[in-house]
Formats: sequence, structure tokens, C-alpha cells
Amino acid sequence: MNESAMLVGVNLTKTYGELDVVKGVSIAVKDGEFVALVGKSGCGKTTLLSLLSGLERPSRGQVMISGSEITNAAENDLALLRRDNVGFIFQSFNLIPTLSAWENVALPLFPIRMPKEERRRRATELLEKMEMGHRLEHLPSALSGGEKQRVAIARALINHPKIVFADEPIGNLDSSTGDAIMAILNRLHAEQGMTMLMVTHEPELAKTADRVIRMQDGEVLS
Amino acid sequence: MNLHYVIKELYHQRRRTIISILGLSIGIALLVILNALSLAYHEAARAPLREVGADITVQRPGNVPEELAGAVFPCSAVTIRKDEIERIEKISGIRGMGKALLLWVFDQNRAWIVLGIEQDNPIGPSILRNFVTEGRYLEAGNPEAMVEAAYARQFGIRLGDAVSVAGREFPVVGIVDASHAAKIAVANLYLPLKEAQTLAEASKPLQSVSPFAPGDVNLLFIKADQEKITGVASALKGILGEKATIATPESFLKLLGSFFALSDKFTLAASLIAMLIAVLIAFKTMAGNIAERAREIGVLKAVGWTDRNVTVQLLGESVIQCFIAGLLGLIIAMVAAFALGFMTVNIPIPWEMSPTPHFLPGGGDPLFKTLRLPVHIPVTLAAFAVLLSVVIGGLTGALLGRHISRIKPSEVLRHE
Repeated sequence: MNESAMLVGVNLTKTYGELDVVKGVSIAVKDGEFVALVGKSGCGKTTLLSLLSGLERPSRGQVMISGSEITNAAENDLALLRRDNVGFIFQSFNLIPTLSAWENVALPLFPIRMPKEERRRRATELLEKMEMGHRLEHLPSALSGGEKQRVAIARALINHPKIVFADEPIGNLDSSTGDAIMAILNRLHAEQGMTMLMVTHEPELAKTADRVIRMQDGEVLS
Repeated sequence: MNLHYVIKELYHQRRRTIISILGLSIGIALLVILNALSLAYHEAARAPLREVGADITVQRPGNVPEELAGAVFPCSAVTIRKDEIERIEKISGIRGMGKALLLWVFDQNRAWIVLGIEQDNPIGPSILRNFVTEGRYLEAGNPEAMVEAAYARQFGIRLGDAVSVAGREFPVVGIVDASHAAKIAVANLYLPLKEAQTLAEASKPLQSVSPFAPGDVNLLFIKADQEKITGVASALKGILGEKATIATPESFLKLLGSFFALSDKFTLAASLIAMLIAVLIAFKTMAGNIAERAREIGVLKAVGWTDRNVTVQLLGESVIQCFIAGLLGLIIAMVAAFALGFMTVNIPIPWEMSPTPHFLPGGGDPLFKTLRLPVHIPVTLAAFAVLLSVVIGGLTGALLGRHISRIKPSEVLRHE
């Protein structure tokens, strides 16, 4: 495997009962690379993303993020690793309904001792970059789908992650809103050199990525 | 714990927060009010004895002489000998003692209830000092008398008159309104104990049924350590015999009837049941709330919250909810206590303790001490209730938080 890789998965297998959802997949994502993981629904791409991001443990194989082996890490160590190194963007946004936009963005910082003003400053800065400066105090229920995803992107970036995992980031959005969100992700990659692994079932979206990995029946095709 | 997050969660999820808080607060209110009621009845039962500054009164029943002339003992209170008094003084747990002598005096033109008192002993009927309406209270060493106001009015006795009692003259130095003073140890005429003892010693009818020597009395008022009252009462029976009438707060409690017996006996059980129900309601509601938030917990863990971060956050929510429930329960209990404070309670005074001869008009009527139920919530009970709520919150939050924090984020985030 490439030693400069930000993310490495070796011979990853995930089995649920009798079913192999991911079958011996090896993958590497270089620092600053934007990789799209493409495949039909149920092909195992979201499970592979969960394995690579430390949300789930592989049945077999190894995962390394930024050179650190995470396969056998304790649950709490995995949580800390995610907090310090990883950002997530989900298809359903997964915002906390009782928290305002800026508080949702600052959510990963809540367990860290720091003044509330500092949390707010960092969250506000990111939301302004997402053109959401006028929606800081709004609850998720008062935001449109596109606005919710912008908040979710800001949340993924609040801890200055080394890599961002995006799982169908525009799957719940209409085409024009989806284009806008993709534009933000592309800009992040282009301007800040953000390493990204994006799961999508739409080949069109993958065209903007540096590299496309196709999956079928739990295996990598190319 | 992020307090801001806790408050926003509780505020925005008002419906489930209110259900949790109400469930527990009703349990806490029940616990507090049941215990406050029990304390109130105990307090009420002390009232008749507290009026004479005692925890225990002691009498010994005997016989009434065949000839009712001059000074005699009521059949409910005959001689308690000096040597018995000396033995009683040595009982462990007794902190002080007052002595008195109750006599019925049948003179040619009227009958008196006469009470000889130790005028300077705070234990016993010296409370009368506060109810002198004319003249003054008895002074030590003087052969003088105080007359009860209603009796004085009935027989036209005035301050400065001399009254003749069993052949002896006493100047009236005070008129005392005993109607508000006490229900026990009341009389028509009050004399210094020594003078009453002289009347008793000189009475042949009295001596014929109950020999009386200098230093003897027939009423004792005892102040005792609260936790030793039962033991002292038992020791008194050992000295004076099983037939002795020993009145204690406990004996008055037994006279209060079935409602008290029910509330007192089952206070602990009812409190425990109330709390158990409250805990179950709180636990079930919070468990439901937390289960509904599995996805949210998954998100927290995905963005880097550790199990401990999640547990502490949920613990904080639970403790704050339960603390509010404790305060609300306390407020509900205080309102209930205020309302119950308007209830009156009649404490029956046993006929043995009534000084009036039962064969005289009104003498056989039931005697009650009527008072408002003294319902109040002691600070210790209030503090205990709030502390208990917080502990319930802590345990519930820790248990549920620990359980839910083990959730794997991929399990709840997978199915989008």
C-alpha cells in the first residue's frame, strides 16, 4: 500500500450472519484525493464506508487512517479518532432537532473544554462560508433540505478533519440543490485540498471526483 | 456535560419532559405529604401533655371513700408514695419531674376540685402562670389560693376574698382562666402543693381508702428523653403496678382512631409504594425518551462523543429533570399541607385524666382537646425528598445512559 495514503483498507470483509456484505476489499485514498465509491443500492458501499471511517469493525482485514491502525482500537479510542480526524456527511443530514444551526455545527466540540464563544465563533465562520450566516439560530425544522446539508457539511469540517466521508450527500435533495451542495464539496477539495471519500449510486456525480471506485456485490470492480 | 444542550433538549421536548417531571413529582408529593401527616398526628398527640410541660403523666387508680365529705381522692388518682417517687426519679431517661395533688373537696355549701401544684416547677401545671387574669400567681411559702375564672363567676368569688376549703382559710390572690390552658390537670382552686398535702393528710375519709403521708402526691408529670418514653412508661408500671395510668404521646395516638392508625401504620409502606410507582413512571418515560433518541445518540458517537460523554449528558438531563420534579413535588406537598392544616383533630382525653367527678353534671361528658392539625413539612423531610429525586435521577440517568451509550452508530445510521 502507498505509504502517503491518508486512508488504507486491506482485505476488508464484513459478514452479517451468513451474508458477506463486503468481500475482501482493499482500498487506499491518498492525502488530498477525492474518491467516489459508486455502485447500485445494496452493493455494500455504505458498509465499506462505515468500515473505513471506524463506525463499524470489519469481520476481517485492517483499516488505517493517517497511519494509525484502527481495526482493534477500543470504542472510546475510535470515537476520539473520529472526533480528531474524521468528518461525516450523511444522506439524511442527521442534525439534532433541538439544537440551532450553529449549535449543530459545534456539536463535535461540545465534549471539548473550550469557551462557548469560541465554539460559536468557529461554527459561525463555517456557516458563513456555507452562505448560512443568516440562519445561525434556526432549528433544523426551519431549514430547507439544502440548508440542512450545508449545516451538516459545516459540522463535518468543524474539527478540521483529515478526511471527510460523505454518504449519498445529495440523495435527499432536488437536482439544483444537489448541484449546489456538490459545488461546495468540490470547492472544499479544490481550494483546501480536503481528502474525501464519497459514496453515491449516481455515476454522474462521480465524474467530479479524482478517482472512481466501482462496487458490485461487495467487491471492488475497478 | 453540556448544560446548554441539556436545557435545550428539555425545553424543546416539553411534552416528554413534562410527563417525566409530573410522574415523579406526584410520587414525591405523596411521599412528603404522607410523612408530614404522620408527623402532624404525632405532634397533635403530644399537645395534651405538652400543655403541662410533660411527656408522661402518671396516676394510680383506687377507690372512692364511702363518705364523700371533706378532701377525698378521685378514684382515678390515689396515693403515689414518697418512696415510689424516689425510685421513679432514678429511672434512666427521665429528665425532670413535677408533682401535684388532685383532691375533690366536699364542703357543706359547695364542692371543689382542688389542685396542689409546685408553683415554680416548669414541669406540670405551672403553665397557669400565663393565664392569670386578675391578681397574681401563687408565691412560694404562702398559704394562698387561685380560683378558676368560671368557677369564681359562678360562686361570686373575688380577688382578696378568703375561701374556706376543708375547714382551712385561704386568701384568693389570683383569678386564672384555665379554659385555654389545658384539658388535664385543671381545677376550680389552685393551692401550693404543701397546703394541699396538709389537707389530704388531715382527711380521715381519704386516709381510710388510701393512706397518705407527708411527701406523697397523686399526680406526676414527667419530662423524658423522647426516644426513651416507651421504656420509661414500662419502668413506671414496674414500680406502680400494671393498673397505673401512664399517659404518653403513644397512648394518645391510640385514642386518635382508625384514620390515624391507618395513616401511621402504612406511612412507610405507602411512601415506598408511592416512590416505587414514581420511580417506575420516571424510568419508563425516560427509557422511552432515550430509546426515541437512539439515532441522535448514534450521531453524537459518530461525530466523536465517547460513551462517557453520552452517559454524562443523559445523566445531566435526568438529574435536572428529577431535581425539578423534586421541587415541584415539594411545592405540591406544601400546598396540600397548607390545605390539610385547616383540618381540626379531636384528641380524646381519657376519663381517668378528667379532674371533674363523673357523678357531677357534665362530669361524665367526653372530653376532647381540639386543635388544628399541625401539618408542616420539616426542612429535613423537604431536603430528603429533593435529594431522593436527584438520586433517582442520577441512578436512572446513569443506568439508561450507560445502556444507550453502548449503541453502535453504524446500527442506527445505516438505514437511511
